[in-house]
Formats: sequence, C-alpha cells, structure tokens
Amino acid sequence: MILENILAAVQELATFKTVILMAVGTVAGLIAGAIPGFTIAMAVVLTLPFTFGMPPAQGLATMIGVFVGGLSGGLMSGILIGIPGTPSSVATTFDGFPMARNGRPGLALGLGVWASFFGGTISAVLLVTLAPQLARIGLEFQPWDYFALIMFALTIAASLAGENLVKGLIAAAFGLLVATIGEDSINGIARFNFGSDALLQGFDFLPVLIGLFAFSQLLTDIEDRVRARQALTETGAVSAKIEHRKAAVMVLKSWVNLVRSSFIGVFTGILPAAGSTISNILAYDQAKKASKTPEKFGTGFSEGIIAPESANNATAGGALITMMALGIPGDIVTAVMLGALLIHDVIPSPSFISDTPVLAYAIFIAFFVANFMMLGLQSGALRLFVLVTRVRMYILASIILAYCGIGIFALNNVSFDMWTLFWFGIIGYIMRNLGFPLAPMILGVVLGRIAELWLSRATAISTDISPFFTHPWSLFFIVLAAFSLFFSAYQSQRGRKTWTLFFTPGLLAALSVPMFMMVGTVRPVLGGLLLVIAAYMLFKIHRRGWKVDPADADVHRLSEG
Amino acid sequence: MSRINRDTYIALFLMITWAVFFWTSFDIRQIDYGTMGAEVWPRGILVILMALTAVYLFQSIKAGPDAASDEPFSLKGWLQKYHNPLWCYALYFVFLLTLPVLGMLIGGIALVFCLLTVLGNRTPRDLMIHAAIAVVSITGMWALFTYALGVILPQGMIFTTL
Repeated sequence: MILENILAAVQELATFKTVILMAVGTVAGLIAGAIPGFTIAMAVVLTLPFTFGMPPAQGLATMIGVFVGGLSGGLMSGILIGIPGTPSSVATTFDGFPMARNGRPGLALGLGVWASFFGGTISAVLLVTLAPQLARIGLEFQPWDYFALIMFALTIAASLAGENLVKGLIAAAFGLLVATIGEDSINGIARFNFGSDALLQGFDFLPVLIGLFAFSQLLTDIEDRVRARQALTETGAVSAKIEHRKAAVMVLKSWVNLVRSSFIGVFTGILPAAGSTISNILAYDQAKKASKTPEKFGTGFSEGIIAPESANNATAGGALITMMALGIPGDIVTAVMLGALLIHDVIPSPSFISDTPVLAYAIFIAFFVANFMMLGLQSGALRLFVLVTRVRMYILASIILAYCGIGIFALNNVSFDMWTLFWFGIIGYIMRNLGFPLAPMILGVVLGRIAELWLSRATAISTDISPFFTHPWSLFFIVLAAFSLFFSAYQSQRGRKTWTLFFTPGLLAALSVPMFMMVGTVRPVLGGLLLVIAAYMLFKIHRRGWKVDPADADVHRLSEG
Repeated sequence: MSRINRDTYIALFLMITWAVFFWTSFDIRQIDYGTMGAEVWPRGILVILMALTAVYLFQSIKAGPDAASDEPFSLKGWLQKYHNPLWCYALYFVFLLTLPVLGMLIGGIALVFCLLTVLGNRTPRDLMIHAAIAVVSITGMWALFTYALGVILPQGMIFTTL
C-alpha cells in the first residue's frame, strides 16, 4: 500500500513541468533568502498566487522548493557580506563571515551548503517516519484536545514572537477576532459586518496574511529614504567558488554536531510557531557547549557553520510534520502552505495522510528532492545573487507591491481581496511600528475558525468544562500552554534568576501527570521517565547549592546579538 | 499628563475598539439550536482582549513617560519620517479606486511608475528607466497571469472601450 502511494506520488511529481517549477522555486528561494530584508515567508507568500492554477502536488512541490532554497539562501549573504539574508542564518554569520574574511569563502560556503543538505535530508527522513506516527496520535484527539492544542499554538507563538508577552497575546487574540468577522461557519449568522455585504463573506486569510506580513515588510524595508535608493547590499557581494569535496568531508567528519543540530532543528520545527529563527541559534549554542574547543567559535570555526545551517534546514521538516500530522502550521511558511491546501479543498488534519496519501507522499518526496536541488543549484544561484545585489531596494519593493495586488486578485477573482490586502497592510505596518508581533496574529487568523469549530463541538457534547482537564491530551496541551506563557521570561532571565532553575523540572513534572492518565503502558512509563528526569535535574541543582549558572544565559545573549 | 506615554494611548485606543466590538456583538442574532451561539466565541475573545489590554495599560502607566516625550510633536517631522510608506499607501489607494476604470494593466503600470518616481530619483534618465521597468514588469506579469495561468484580470473601462 505504501509502495503504491509512493509510486503514485512519484508519478505526480516526475513530470518535466513539475521538475522545472521546483528548480525555479529553489533558485528563487535561494536568491530571496540571500537578500537581506527579504524573508523566506515572503518568498513563499509571493509564490503562492502562481500555484493557484496548478494541481495540488505541483503547487506544493514548487512552494517546498522555495522554502528549502530560502533556508539555504541566507548563508550566501551571511558568509560573503556578513549580513544574514534571513533570521534563520544569523548564527551562520558568527563563523561564516570570519572564515570568508580569513580567505576561505569557498570553504565556508561549502560547509554551509553541505550542512544544509544533510540537515534537510535528516529531517526528510524524520518527516517520513514521524509524521504518520504523530497523525496516528492525532486521530485520538477529541474536540477538547484540539481546542487546547490550538490555544497552546497561540500562547507559544505569542511567547516566542516578541519581547512583550502581553503584546503577543493581544496580537494572537486580535487574529482570532478578525477570523470571526463575517458569517459564522457553524450557523451562518452574520457577525461584525457593520451592514456591509462584502464583509459577510469574511476575510480570506491569504490576503490578510500577505497584507499583514509581506505588504508591511516591504514598506518597513523602504521606510528610510536614503537606504531605499541604495543597492540591496552597499558593500557588494563577492562571488567565490564553492569547495564542495573538502566541505562535504568536513561536515561528515563532524557527524555528531550534524545529527544533534538536525534534531534540534526538527524538534524546534515541530513546536508551533518556533521556526528556524530560533533553531539556528539554539544549535550554535549547543555546538559551542559540547565542543572541546569552544574558544574557536566566532573565529571562523567549521563547527560554527555546520550547526546553524543543518538546524535551520531541518526545521522545515519539523514544521511540515506538525502541519501534515495535526493540521497546525508550524510557522508562517507552513501557514501559507496550509492556505494552499485549503485552496485545493484539501483540509489538513490527522486524517490528512490516510485520506490523501498520494498528496502526502508527494510532499515527502518533494521535500527530499528539493534538498538535492538546493545542493545542485547553489553555485548558479550564487552568481545570480551577486547580480541581484546591484538592484536598488525601491525598485524591487515597487514591483512586488504591484505583484501582491495582482496575485491576490487571482485568488478569488474579486477586488475585495485587494482591499483586504491594503487595509491589513496598514494594520500590519502600524503593528510592526508599535512593537506588536505579527506571527501570533497570523496564526490567530489561520486557526480562529478551526478553534471555534472544535469549541462548538466540545460544548455540543457537554457544556461542562471539566473535560478540558480530565482528557489527558487536553491537559497535556494546557500544561504546555501555561508554561509557554512564562517561556519568554524564562529565556531572558535564565542564568540570572533563581526561579528559572525550576522551570524545566516543573514543566517535566507537570507533563508527567497527563502522561500517567493516558491508556496503555508506554505513555505512563514515559510519564514516569519525565518525573525521574525532573527529580534528577532538581538533585543536580541541589548539589550546586540552588545557584544559577551564568553560562545558561548564553542563548539569550546570542539571540540578542 | 506626565505619566502618559505612547503605549498608554495605544492601550486606551484598543480598549475603546474592543468596547465597540463588544457593543456590536449584541447585534449578533441569537439562536437556540442546541449548539454554541454565534456570539459566544467572539465575546469570549473580546473579554480576553479587554483583560490583556487592561494589563497592557497598567504596564504602560507603570513604565512612566517616554524618554523622548519632552520633544514637541512636529507634523512636518512625522510626515518626513513616514514619507515613503505614506506615499505607497496613498498611491495604492488611488490604484484600487481607479481599478474599475484603468484596469490591472494600465493601472498597474501607472502604480509602479508612480511608486518608482516617488521613492527614487526624478532625473529625466531615471524617469525613462522607471517607465521601462513599469511597462516591462507589469506587462510581463499581466501576460503571465492572463495567458499562462488563465486568470482574467480586471480590464477596466478604458481597455474594454478601445
């Protein structure tokens, strides 16, 4: 059965048109990822309108090409000019740029490219093996569990997205409110349409998403009148020949770092809203802590390039796992992909893999193939990148602004969507300027209707709220949501405040409770294991005299740097 | 007044906005189908939003006045600071308003040309380059969507009467 599905998926993808589109997508992602100020999400968002007319597998394969290319593109500018193309490559710059300045730009690029490739490949293997298993767990979920999972996705997004948790939570709740405008999907009753017939339909979430994210990002990029007229990189990028063979050997030799960083990437990707922006810094920090020569980090050390680059590419696989197995977008990019699936009337949920196995396997294969394409096309993209850096920012922004309008019109062939894009472009820009994070709001808009649907189903079964606390999975996500509210404070005060010592043991101990409540033997045993780990951590802290370790503050310092 | 900072104003504005939405939520028709009413979920969100905004308001008052609050507000300075975004929004607004008349092709070319001219330099040579970029980029995209993707973009009154 699996073999049949794989063959059918290969048949879907193995057309000349699809391969060419994937290759174009990968190059476009590499270039977009390399341009400072342009994010991967923006590149995927801009690709979306082109995919409307394509079959689902072809459209998603193209977007996956852009996604994988974008994750690897950031290393080019990070290494060659010292400015990371995307936040996913911030940590790559720490050692990549010094190595390039020390006269080894080709080796630095090679290390980045091969680490990206192996990281992506490891996560592709994990995607194929973990997504169906997670989907099987997802099939156990009842309405209370789903609702709690969505609440967790929103709280962790709010917690990770910005400095001020309250602003993040307001943004998330505002996103939920926006999703309520128009006729409600359960009873068809008008809400907040203020007498407007156009508003009765509600907002399609893609114009909202593109307005909030891409439109406002472009205007932020050209805010400074002088910088807007400058070329994308004033310093000018210098091309270099990638040292493939030597770099591949070096990456494989440090396989422990590679595997550890890839797992960090996948795990970070699985968490809703925690994307490659976080994973590359986490992996760099762990590589430095585990290294026998931590003093070499920051001077052009190969391990410092391998860790972040393998982690950021692996994050893509993790984000796809959550989207495909649970129907919850792992980050903004997978939120866009979720939108693309909905356009084709495919609703991602735990039954997605079993209901549409050919499409699911097509996504797996496309992700796998995109990593190979990225590897093969990087050298060509590097030459293009050098050319693109000569374009002035305002030219690119003007064309993309017009393109956003055309692309959004193509979604439903109604100009109301263009007005939605415009108004949410203003809201997004104001929110950015006032320090409100956009990622929680976007997740709120995407998940709002689904959350209401599950809450409605839960209350239709029983108006009692106790099932939220008596169903193990629901309690599991409520515990995670509660702890995620303190996560940003934990991150910023880690290594300085005593209470942070108890955060992780407390989380593990609290999570063990729902694990004990689950049926079977494996999960209660895992719960017991969590409790033992929590006790061991407390014992270690006790032996240290309940004192904080200043070295723990490294991750926060890195992310701020 | 010295304790008012920017966040306080935002919090107050948000509180008023949520209050308006909450008031409007009473216009939502109530049903008795045995399912959750259509007004329950938005009202729940609004209650949470009001509570969070109250915390935000408290935080902003506690934080005290802005460091730069002594500087008087200057409309000219504000307009200069946001020159580019304001022009972009204004031009986009005009583009959307005139879309039924100009259509996507002519309107799009005009939009890109105006954006390039407002944001970039305005020497005769630059204007020529801007015009070329506008025509090539929008015509290319228009052709791609119209012929390759089969999307019928708004033609506009001018195009249809030609």
